[in-house]
Amino acid sequence: MKLEGVAAFLTGGASGLGAATARVLAEAGAIVALLDRDMVLAEPLAKELGGVAVKCDVADHDSLKAAVQQACAAIGPPRIAVNFAGIDVSRKIASRSQGPHPIASMQREININVIGTLDGCALFAEQMMNLEPFEDGERGVLINIASGAAFNGPPGQAAYAASKRAVAGATLPLARDLAPYGIRVMTIAPGFFKTPLASSVDDKHIDKLIAMVPFPKRWGDPREIGELVKHICQNRMLNGETIQIDGAMR
Amino acid sequence: MNIHGLSALVTGGASGIGAGVARVLARAGAKVAILDRNAELAQATAAEIGGIAIACDVASDASVQQAVAAAQAAQGAARILVNCAGIDTARKIASRKTGAHPIGPMQRVIDVNLVGTLSCCAHASHAMLDLAPLDADGERGVLINIASVAAFNAPNGQSVYAASKAGVVGATLPMARDLARYGIRVMTIAPGLFDTPLAGTMDDAMTGQVLRQVLFPKRKGRPDEIGALVQHICENQMLNAATIRIDAGLF
Repeated sequence: MKLEGVAAFLTGGASGLGAATARVLAEAGAIVALLDRDMVLAEPLAKELGGVAVKCDVADHDSLKAAVQQACAAIGPPRIAVNFAGIDVSRKIASRSQGPHPIASMQREININVIGTLDGCALFAEQMMNLEPFEDGERGVLINIASGAAFNGPPGQAAYAASKRAVAGATLPLARDLAPYGIRVMTIAPGFFKTPLASSVDDKHIDKLIAMVPFPKRWGDPREIGELVKHICQNRMLNGETIQIDGAMR
Repeated sequence: MNIHGLSALVTGGASGIGAGVARVLARAGAKVAILDRNAELAQATAAEIGGIAIACDVASDASVQQAVAAAQAAQGAARILVNCAGIDTARKIASRKTGAHPIGPMQRVIDVNLVGTLSCCAHASHAMLDLAPLDADGERGVLINIASVAAFNAPNGQSVYAASKAGVVGATLPMARDLARYGIRVMTIAPGLFDTPLAGTMDDAMTGQVLRQVLFPKRKGRPDEIGALVQHICENQMLNAATIRIDAGLF
C-alpha cells in the first residue's frame, strides 16, 4: 500500500520503537495516531508529526475501544495499525532468593503484551474491513511486535518470552481470519534495540548482550524497525509471517 | 548499505525472480552482473538494465570461481550476492507408475539449488573479506539466498526440491555466524508462488490449487516484489541470519 495520506495507528507510539516508526511513517506521508498511556510524551511527538495523541491503556478493553473511536474521529479509520505497546518484566520463574515469580506481574505482562495486541487487532480490523479496497483488494495491514525472546529467551524472561511467542503464534490465524477482507497481518521480532525498555537493563548486562550480537555489533536503531514496518506496508506479498530483525543474535 | 554504485552479482539473473532482482538493483544504482547458464538471455537482460552478463553454471565450482573473478575484473568486487539460480523437478520419491525417483535428476537439483548456492556464497564472500568496510559498523557485504516456501511446507512430488531449499534455509544461520566477524550479512528469502518461468511449468489446475490456498493477495507474486525485499534487506543492516517468507500467506 502507498503510505501517502493513509491513517496509521500505533499503540505504544509515544516512545521507543513506536515513536521511531511513527516518525518514519509520517515522513512517508502517513497521518499517525499515537495511542499511549503516556500523554506527556505522546502529545508533543504527535504535534511534531502532524498527527494526534490519544490516551490509551491497551490492557483495558474499554480504554482501547474509546481510543480507537477517538482516533478514527480525528484522522479517519486506520489502514495501518502497529501494536508496539508492551512491557518486559525481567524475573526468574522461581529462585531461592526471590521465590516464585508473582502471579500479578506475570498476569500484567500477558495482559498487555498478548491480550492488548489481540484486542488491538480485533478493534483495528473492525474499522478496516468496511473501508474501500485499494489495489488487489487490499484494505489494511496489521503489524505486531514480538521479540527475539519468542524464539530464544534468556533466563529471567519466561513470562516475556511466552507473551511474545504467543504474538508470533497468533500471526497466521489472524492472517487467515482477515484475508477475506484484504487485511494482511505480519509480525516483527526485534532483537536488541535502543529503547527505554532495553535501557532499563544495567550497563554490565548491556555490554554482555551486545557481545552476543554477531553483526552489526551494536544496538539496533529504532528507525530500522520503522523502515521494516514501512517496507511491510508497501510489499503486499508479505503476509502471515514473522520477521526476525536482530543482527543474527540467536 | 546504500546500494548506489555498488557491484552486485545475481545468479539466475537472466529470467524470473533473478531478472526481477537484477532490474530493481540496477534501478537503485547498483552495477549488476548477471550470472546465468543461458548466455543469450543473460545478455538480453543485462542490456536492458545496463548491466553485464557472465556465463556461469552454479553447479560447477570452477565456473562459479571464474564468474566471480570475471565480474570483479569488470565492475569491482561485489558487495551484494543474490542467489536466484535454481531448478525444480516434480516427481514423487517413489510410485508404482513411475518407480523410484531416479538419482540423476535428484543429484542435479541438489547440486544446483544447494551446492550451487553454497559455492556462490563461498566464492563471493571470500572476495569480500578484504574489501574496505563501507561504514563505521564495518559492513563489507551481504549474501541473499532464494529458498522457497517448499522448505517449510511442500506438496507431494517436491521432496527433492524441498530438501534442496530447506538446506539453504538451514545454512543461513551458520553462514551468518561464519561471516559476522568480516561484516558480511547472510539472509534468505522464501518465496511462495511467483510469476516466473519455473512456476510456469506447473499446469493450470495445479496453479489454481495453489492460489486457492493463498490467503491474500490471491495472485502470483511479481519478481519485482522479491527485488524490493532484496533491496530492503541490503539497506536494513539489522537484518541478518533470518529467513523471510514472502508468499501472501501460503501454508
